[in-house]
Amino acid sequence: MTAQPSATEPVLAETPVSATAVNGAYNPDSVQIYKDAAHIRQRPGMYIGNLESSGLHHLAYELVYNSVDEALAGHCTHIQVVVNVDGSLSVKDDGRGIPVEEHPEAKKPTLEVVLTTVGAGAKFDKATYKVSAGLHGIGAKAVTALSDWVEAEVRRDGHVYQMEFARGKATGPLQDLGLSPNQTGTRITFHPDPEIFKKDVLFDYDTLEARLRELSFLNKGLHISLADERTSKKESFKYEGGIADFVTYLNRSEEVLHKPIYIDKTQDEVRVEVALQYTNGEEERVRCYANNAYNSMGGTHLVGFRTALTRALNGYGDKENLFKNDLKPIGEDFREGITGVISVQVPEPQFEAQTKVRLNNPEVEGIVTSVVLEALGKYLEENPKDAKRIMNKVITAAEAREAAAKAKKALKDRKSVLNSGGLPGKLMDCTSRDRDESELFLVEGDSAGGSAESGRDRMYQAILPLRGKPLNVEKARLEKLLDNTEICAIISAVGIDIGEESDITRLRYGKIVILTDADVDGQHIRTLLLTFFYRQMPKLIADGHMFVARPPLYKVTQRKQVRFVQTTEEMSRELMTRGLDNTKLQVLVSPGGATTASSVEGERLTRLVQVLDELEGALQILERRGLDLPRFLQRGTAGPLPVFRVHLNGVEHWFGTAADVDAFRRQEQERLGRELVVTDETPGQPRTNGHANGAPDAAPTFFVQELHEVHGVRRGLEKLKEFHLSAADLVPQVRIAGREPPPRYALENGDYRRLLPHMRDLVLEVRRLGERGLTITRFKGLGEMDPEELWETTLDPEKRTLLQVQLDDAFKADEMFRTLMGEKVEPRREFIQKHALEVKDIDYHGA
Amino acid sequence: MINVTCPVCGRKMQGQTIDEWPQFPMCSPRCRLIDLGRWLGGNYRIPSESEGEADETTDNMETP
Repeated sequence: MTAQPSATEPVLAETPVSATAVNGAYNPDSVQIYKDAAHIRQRPGMYIGNLESSGLHHLAYELVYNSVDEALAGHCTHIQVVVNVDGSLSVKDDGRGIPVEEHPEAKKPTLEVVLTTVGAGAKFDKATYKVSAGLHGIGAKAVTALSDWVEAEVRRDGHVYQMEFARGKATGPLQDLGLSPNQTGTRITFHPDPEIFKKDVLFDYDTLEARLRELSFLNKGLHISLADERTSKKESFKYEGGIADFVTYLNRSEEVLHKPIYIDKTQDEVRVEVALQYTNGEEERVRCYANNAYNSMGGTHLVGFRTALTRALNGYGDKENLFKNDLKPIGEDFREGITGVISVQVPEPQFEAQTKVRLNNPEVEGIVTSVVLEALGKYLEENPKDAKRIMNKVITAAEAREAAAKAKKALKDRKSVLNSGGLPGKLMDCTSRDRDESELFLVEGDSAGGSAESGRDRMYQAILPLRGKPLNVEKARLEKLLDNTEICAIISAVGIDIGEESDITRLRYGKIVILTDADVDGQHIRTLLLTFFYRQMPKLIADGHMFVARPPLYKVTQRKQVRFVQTTEEMSRELMTRGLDNTKLQVLVSPGGATTASSVEGERLTRLVQVLDELEGALQILERRGLDLPRFLQRGTAGPLPVFRVHLNGVEHWFGTAADVDAFRRQEQERLGRELVVTDETPGQPRTNGHANGAPDAAPTFFVQELHEVHGVRRGLEKLKEFHLSAADLVPQVRIAGREPPPRYALENGDYRRLLPHMRDLVLEVRRLGERGLTITRFKGLGEMDPEELWETTLDPEKRTLLQVQLDDAFKADEMFRTLMGEKVEPRREFIQKHALEVKDIDYHGA
Repeated sequence: MINVTCPVCGRKMQGQTIDEWPQFPMCSPRCRLIDLGRWLGGNYRIPSESEGEADETTDNMETP
């Protein structure tokens, strides 16, 4: 095959004349003669692929390649391609000009040899062209052979020469047209032979534009211009960024993750240039070139690049510990969304086929791997932000691939947990198949499933017991999850299949009810389930099929009569009502030292209890903040309690209004003669010595905290006045001389009498009074109820409370879930603390 | 108007109704698939307070 490149050129007719070129000069000697060109006209397909458009354009490219080779050798900066009105095409460069002197072997002008003799060409001579894009001695000959006229103009040695050809032969002698003192270069114009190409096979502007732009990208800084005189269209290409600009161009309509990464290094005489950039997309687009020729099927350079990419990113991910949950990215994951250009310049390229679809040089693989691995590794280290974006992309790709496999496997494996009816084995289904009246209870808790099974109405209530699987993550840290079989069981029982989550027509029950324990774990499992449905079956929620059951929190027994109380609020309301019935508060000694005793009862006592109850919430928040309550309350003796706590360099100050805080800051700034650094965190320890923290030069720090609950305390104290009580009644009296202060208050009901050291105990004591005669059991787990009780309180449609889950509730569950399982420990800790501050009864606060 | 953040990739999105938003609350079928994979893979965990009955495991993987 003549298509084979130089090293294995089979049409070698005689021993080539040895290269005698010195210092890269382009002399007649460097052209070696192989064979006559006439063969081309007989078998044109062998040389240019076909006689269609691509074959025609190939001719133009062959001439351009010669000019590019001249540019690669450093002698040419501008190539002009012009489609002429007569359908001919000119390629002009400002290189050295093809030699015109007589060729020593052929005894003809070298220009003629170059354009007419197959196998002749300076490409075989590495001193002239180290690397080349051309067809190794065939290109220009093919152009001459397949044209009905060719005009070659050479500017060289101060003169302009011209020679004409037709169908592979010179049609006239080399002519010296005159002087060209400051200009060198070659211009070849050819007109495709109508005997060879059909009339409708014409040069196409867009095709030329695409290839010339590409060549311009591939040859950094090379200026290529294109003009079509038939239409006056023209364009000019010059890219200082080379293939990095190429990548930018390829990604012009993509969302990119970072700037293109550009690598350029020559190793073992092979120049490796690589540019790459990741996008948000999923496609892999890597274009490969060897000596400017596009290799549509890749080759050793592509293999080497992929190896390096996988190794560099895998290495980085391992080192930074980015692959969690046993995630193992594979080659394709690293290539998802990548846009890349690989361009190598190889002294002796070996291609597959005339069309150069694949580069075959085995040594190139290792060279590309080594160059890219080193450069990319360095890039990732030096650009951690880009590295993070790229790695996230890789992780997403790997996760998606693994998820697809898991979903597929789950679909397959599901059969093992399903019974013959296609339902999970542990599902206790209902008899009715009427979707509108049937209900599925998802019950979590160790013994709850059993109670629910016996307590339910089998006709229309189905039970799916679930068990959260606890995991010892670290010492003292437990986690729970719903494992694969539980998730699959939910999906099958509900009737909505994996992969078809948006189709809810196959839903098997009208109501899906989550029933979990009323403790923190139960609340977490409920959050987990709601998040699952929100993310995977949101339509179920949006269409109102999702519910949360509210089992009672208390069981109350009074003289063998059993009642259930649903919420903490209800329970405490009841206890307070009972506790206040016929109860009297005796104020024995007023704190001011007055001896007159008084008593509070009836409506007034109810109101006092209310005031104290409200006040208690605010006081507890203050205590949780770590304040010493007696000391803090004393700050209010002269006026209203302060609301703003200020730390200046760790020293605490208190103010009543924002304006006071501002005035203090100005005053301190003036006094210290510098601006204060306002921090947003409480300084570690309040300091008492007044010295600045840290280095003496550190700017003074200023921290302001507004204690909103103080407003509540102020309001409460105001209301206490009507009972002749004050802040001093809220804290224990100070011991005097080691003696227990006399009791100040007593709570009386019939023959019941209880002494109180301070008023904060009143609510608690009234409540305790209310508990007399009752046995109250706080349900923690559903399993503490027997089947009848579960039916009575939770399952019976006549008596139960079901909360319908709105999309917004599920959205909140999802948010809470993200925080609960967030990988960052800090926000999670903050979240839990914040809720500890706000929520009095964390055991239960609604759906 | 619904404003949500894709639970998987964190992309912020807006929409009118979920009927016109087949992938709600995800941004794409791909993120939905990744999420499903995480459920099936047992990657979604929440802190637990129950004691004693935890499975013996040396597992110390982080949640994603």
